[in-house]
Amino acid sequence: MEMRDVTYNKNDYVETASGNKVSKQTVLCGSQNIVLQGRVIVQPEAIIRGDLANVKTGRYCIISKEAVIRPPYKKFSKGVAFFPLTMGDNVYVGEKSIINAAVVGSYVYIGKNCVIGRRCILKDCCIIEDNTILAPETVVPPFTRYSGNPGVQIGQAPECQMDFMVDFTRSYYQHFVPAKLI
Amino acid sequence: MTSRNNIKIIAGAIVCHEAKLRGDVTIGAGTIMHPCAFVNAEAGPIIIGEKCLVEEQSKITHRVPFDRVEQKNVPVLIIGSNNVFEVGCNVEACRIGDNNIFESKCFVGNKVTVTNGCIIGAGCYITEEQVLPENTIIYGENCLQREALCGPGQQTLQMDTLSKMLPNYHRIRKPNLKS
Repeated sequence: MEMRDVTYNKNDYVETASGNKVSKQTVLCGSQNIVLQGRVIVQPEAIIRGDLANVKTGRYCIISKEAVIRPPYKKFSKGVAFFPLTMGDNVYVGEKSIINAAVVGSYVYIGKNCVIGRRCILKDCCIIEDNTILAPETVVPPFTRYSGNPGVQIGQAPECQMDFMVDFTRSYYQHFVPAKLI
Repeated sequence: MTSRNNIKIIAGAIVCHEAKLRGDVTIGAGTIMHPCAFVNAEAGPIIIGEKCLVEEQSKITHRVPFDRVEQKNVPVLIIGSNNVFEVGCNVEACRIGDNNIFESKCFVGNKVTVTNGCIIGAGCYITEEQVLPENTIIYGENCLQREALCGPGQQTLQMDTLSKMLPNYHRIRKPNLKS
């Protein structure tokens, strides 16, 4: 099924040379530490905290409205260190989700209103359902589906999860077009 | 409502310019407020104590319960010291003690009194009129309650790091009161 076009106002978004579409209403702190590899969509009121540590995303990531991407911290005997947060390719982050993970693999789907606790590791091709709360330091294995509070495994992701996410994020990007002026 | 903003920041507090403060807000020494934190003193003044950590998207609102709106003397919302408000929490409690942690996406209603050393877990909702005893932990899907043997650890290490890092990247509001 073909996706419907989602239109945006051209004045509200910045498009970079590598095809990132970043809304002007996002809060990007420490933008020199944020790397968006290309074809990434960041929607209004999302917050990316590059001031705490480096944030790196892959290609074709979609960060929805009011999501927060925030590098995790770890306590050591001598103070606290913030860890860089890396995100793979073709990742979808739903609305109002809070990502405190250390690593998010590729082809990951994170639903709405999720809380990914500190230093969680999400491996490739996993699905986090809406309203899930993952406890700190959870490791989500590949091809699993997590849900609940605290998040537990409730099933498996289909084998085609990778192709599905590639299709989904690419068509989302292709159908995310500026509104035509009439 | 009055749109007057009367913000007092005591020397030593780090309040980012992007933090939204509405109404009569007093912020104690050593408190760190991340950008996009939201403190709304719509019903009466809010006093935040020392060494609190307020992260982005957290909402602290002073709202009087509907049945007490008629009363003339609006109480002051006093928040003690060493409290942590994590990303996206929504706190309307009528009194908050010391050393509490409000985790991500929790909601505390305006009839709740929070004492000392409590942890409100991520995604938990408490709305009923109650006084949380000291060292209470609220956790899980059904917002179960239990008592901890000891209160949560302090966040001084994180606060030290943040107080060094945040001024490098953000504009900080100037303190206007001496401690």
